[in-house]
Amino acid sequence: MDPNSSEKPPLSLRERLFKTWFPPAAAIGGMAMLVAAVFRQRPAARTVVAPPGGPAPAVPAPGAQAATAPAMASPLLQVARASSARPTAGPLARQYRLERVFGEAASAAAFHLSLNGVALDSSDRLHTLGDGEIRVFAPDGSVARRWKVAETAESLAVGPDGRVYVGGSGRVDVYSPRGDRIGGFAFGDKASPAAVSAVKIYRDEILVADASARIIRRFDAAGRQLGVIGDRGATKTFMLPNGKLDLDVDAAGVVRATDTGRHQVTAWQIDGTPVGRFGKFGMSDPADFVGCCNPVNLASTRDGMVVTGEKMVARVKVFTAAGVLMAVIGPEHFDPMCTQIHLAADAKGRVYAADPVRRRIQVFAPEAGGAR
Amino acid sequence: MSRFGIPLRRVATLLFVVAALASTVVVAQYQKKPPDFGGSYSFPTPTHPEPRDTWVRALDVAMLAGGLGVAAWLILKRRTRNGVVLLSVATIAYFGFYRRGCICPIGSIQNVTASLVDPHYLMSFGVIAFFFLPLAAALLVGRVFCGGVCPLGAVQDLVLVKPVQVPERLDRALRWLPYVYLVLAVIFAGWGLHGTWFGWHVNIGRRFIICEWDPFISLFRISGSFQMLTLGGSFILLGMFVGRPYCRWLCPYGGLLAIGSRVSWRNVSITPDREVDCGLCANACPFGAIEHHRAHRGNCVGCARCYESCPFEVERRGGPSAEVQLAKVMRP
Amino acid sequence: MDERSSRRQFIDRASRVLGFVTIGGAAGVLAKRASANSVYQVDPLRCTSCDLCRTSCVLSLSAVKAVNDFARCGYCQLCPAYMDVTSQPDATGIPTGRVCPQDALKRRVVGTVDKDDPNNNYYEYTVDETRCDGCGKCVKACLPPAGNGSLRLEIRYDRCVECNECAIQLACPDRAILRVEVPGLPPRSAGQAHE
Repeated sequence: MDPNSSEKPPLSLRERLFKTWFPPAAAIGGMAMLVAAVFRQRPAARTVVAPPGGPAPAVPAPGAQAATAPAMASPLLQVARASSARPTAGPLARQYRLERVFGEAASAAAFHLSLNGVALDSSDRLHTLGDGEIRVFAPDGSVARRWKVAETAESLAVGPDGRVYVGGSGRVDVYSPRGDRIGGFAFGDKASPAAVSAVKIYRDEILVADASARIIRRFDAAGRQLGVIGDRGATKTFMLPNGKLDLDVDAAGVVRATDTGRHQVTAWQIDGTPVGRFGKFGMSDPADFVGCCNPVNLASTRDGMVVTGEKMVARVKVFTAAGVLMAVIGPEHFDPMCTQIHLAADAKGRVYAADPVRRRIQVFAPEAGGAR
Repeated sequence: MSRFGIPLRRVATLLFVVAALASTVVVAQYQKKPPDFGGSYSFPTPTHPEPRDTWVRALDVAMLAGGLGVAAWLILKRRTRNGVVLLSVATIAYFGFYRRGCICPIGSIQNVTASLVDPHYLMSFGVIAFFFLPLAAALLVGRVFCGGVCPLGAVQDLVLVKPVQVPERLDRALRWLPYVYLVLAVIFAGWGLHGTWFGWHVNIGRRFIICEWDPFISLFRISGSFQMLTLGGSFILLGMFVGRPYCRWLCPYGGLLAIGSRVSWRNVSITPDREVDCGLCANACPFGAIEHHRAHRGNCVGCARCYESCPFEVERRGGPSAEVQLAKVMRP
Repeated sequence: MDERSSRRQFIDRASRVLGFVTIGGAAGVLAKRASANSVYQVDPLRCTSCDLCRTSCVLSLSAVKAVNDFARCGYCQLCPAYMDVTSQPDATGIPTGRVCPQDALKRRVVGTVDKDDPNNNYYEYTVDETRCDGCGKCVKACLPPAGNGSLRLEIRYDRCVECNECAIQLACPDRAILRVEVPGLPPRSAGQAHE
């Protein structure tokens, strides 16, 4: 092959542009883009906006909470639980201790799928709604009677005569104490059935917590609506961000209901006249209700106390009717993932608390000096 | 993910079908009715921006096919470098910056492998076309994909300033690397790497290493980690002085195209009927692809530089006659 | 010479045919399994809001955004995803700390407004996608039992560049990024996992 000659023909302008200038220009352009890319940083993750003044709440020491806390518990839940463990200004008036457990996981009466409600009859026999059936427990913990109910059942109540009322999906069904269906009624729009999150009996009225309409309805045995409770005349009745409304009625006919969005326990007369309300949001004082929507459950005791159940910090508290905190049954008894704790109270002041995650009912009895 | 025989695609479709049906049921089950907000509030309709339409993906395939056709015409019929340069710029603009370099036929090897190994791996028609079309073109007309359509090749081709002729033995040895890379890419894309060798426990799941080590992706996205930006910068720098280093010595798809191009129906031919031993074409080729006056079919990427310097091609385009040019060049 | 070249031609032709058959066959097999579209999406039932969505995306502002499911949202005033309920409260008892580091979760009061008692109001929460970087702190804070689980992380397709191999999917420790066939509606919300 011959080597190149020393004489090369002169390049035209177009050839010069293409051959001489374009490649280095392209190379420089490419490098410039890469350099520019270096400066396209991610927006820096700013720290959480610091609250003005005051120290941040302390993170609990490891091991301070129950070992059953799930690995996924967010720092929020950990701090919330720690704050609820702080001592009150003075000792609490009452203490409760765990007396017994119904429906323990290994027992014959265990709940395998669900536990949705508890109620006590006039002789304080435990009735439960869970696993798609109603169970009546004997005092020794075994199941004395059980019968299946509709899949849509959400709540239950037991009347003074032992009849069982099961509410759910826009209807209430009535069963005899032996388990035969003896009646029932539906209400509201069939196309969008109402969520019946609680049922209670007062004399010959059936009180239904309609969580969809966010109101309590009063029905007679035939299903005629007699009135509503909770209507303050404004557009907003109960504010229920978590979609659950719980109520209880005591012997005097005072209806108490949870107003979870407002963090309050509300009290009404049976005709709907508001009597009072107590409670407020707070993360540090145990008398306050934590989180976004609490208390989620409540029960009235025979001696006029109010028992409340909370989520996020799963605990049960006992208040006087005026709202003075009497006792705290702490989160160590309940699964931290509970979104509800169904409650009932018997004649001796014992609190029955149903844990729907661990699917068992724990009975807490007040210690010496407690209620009648 | 489908190691336990769970049909992933069916599960995923089911997820969506359930969600579609359940969107009303969710409202019904959960909040049954919204609260009475009062006033004139109504739920906002949630916005879910759709991914690119099917017709846009079809357009990508059409652009690829069109680009291959134009490249074949430019390289084999028109035999002019200007057109190839313009096509390279166009492909960098479309497949490079606009489509951000993804998906490309080089990466499609991995998708094809994954889908052949795992029947439940989701595969789209566009990716199949991206894998198939340049290979079919290679069997017909040679590596026209590399010449004018591949954006990675175009970047290297356009920044080439002063090519260094790589020693032939080194070049020959390096030309085995694409096949090593291909085997590795297939292994990683199909199965991942699991096992213990010489006391080292290796447990790497299925990965697309071609995508992860794509040198120019950071350029096309104009963003990336420091390692990726450095890799891109290094290849641009290297590409200024060595012709198409990635294409010749690394690109696994180029390895496949080389095999196909060797038996192609038509290919680059340098004035086959009038050869003179002037050697200008071999000097002009930055990739050392010309041996014995012939473009080595496997190595020639269709850059068309040889046509610019061949006296007979110049004459054919209307320049001075070949004899005149050769007289100036060759010593008596 | 002729014989050699004709044998060479035959080999070439045979190889071409073999090549076409191979790639055509592969294409045919794959075409049977192919779908028109497949994209990446987050499965909220597996997502643990680990913050890697923010840092792993090839884009500098991640294509993963928090999305609020309004049908499930409680419209609470004391939203645990908006305000850090454990932070120091102000004089009226409302916590002052905010969960979102980028201030991307916005709220406005809706419906009939009670000016005196904010506890009486409903608030609509929306995510500002120009600020959200997909860290998932709000998603984690909204999970039951603290909230309803209406917030979830979602890959937004007006930003996602649809990489062949999603970098977030590689980094995700929970295998929560799936390649899914039909874009359609996004998957279920996280709250359903806890029902």
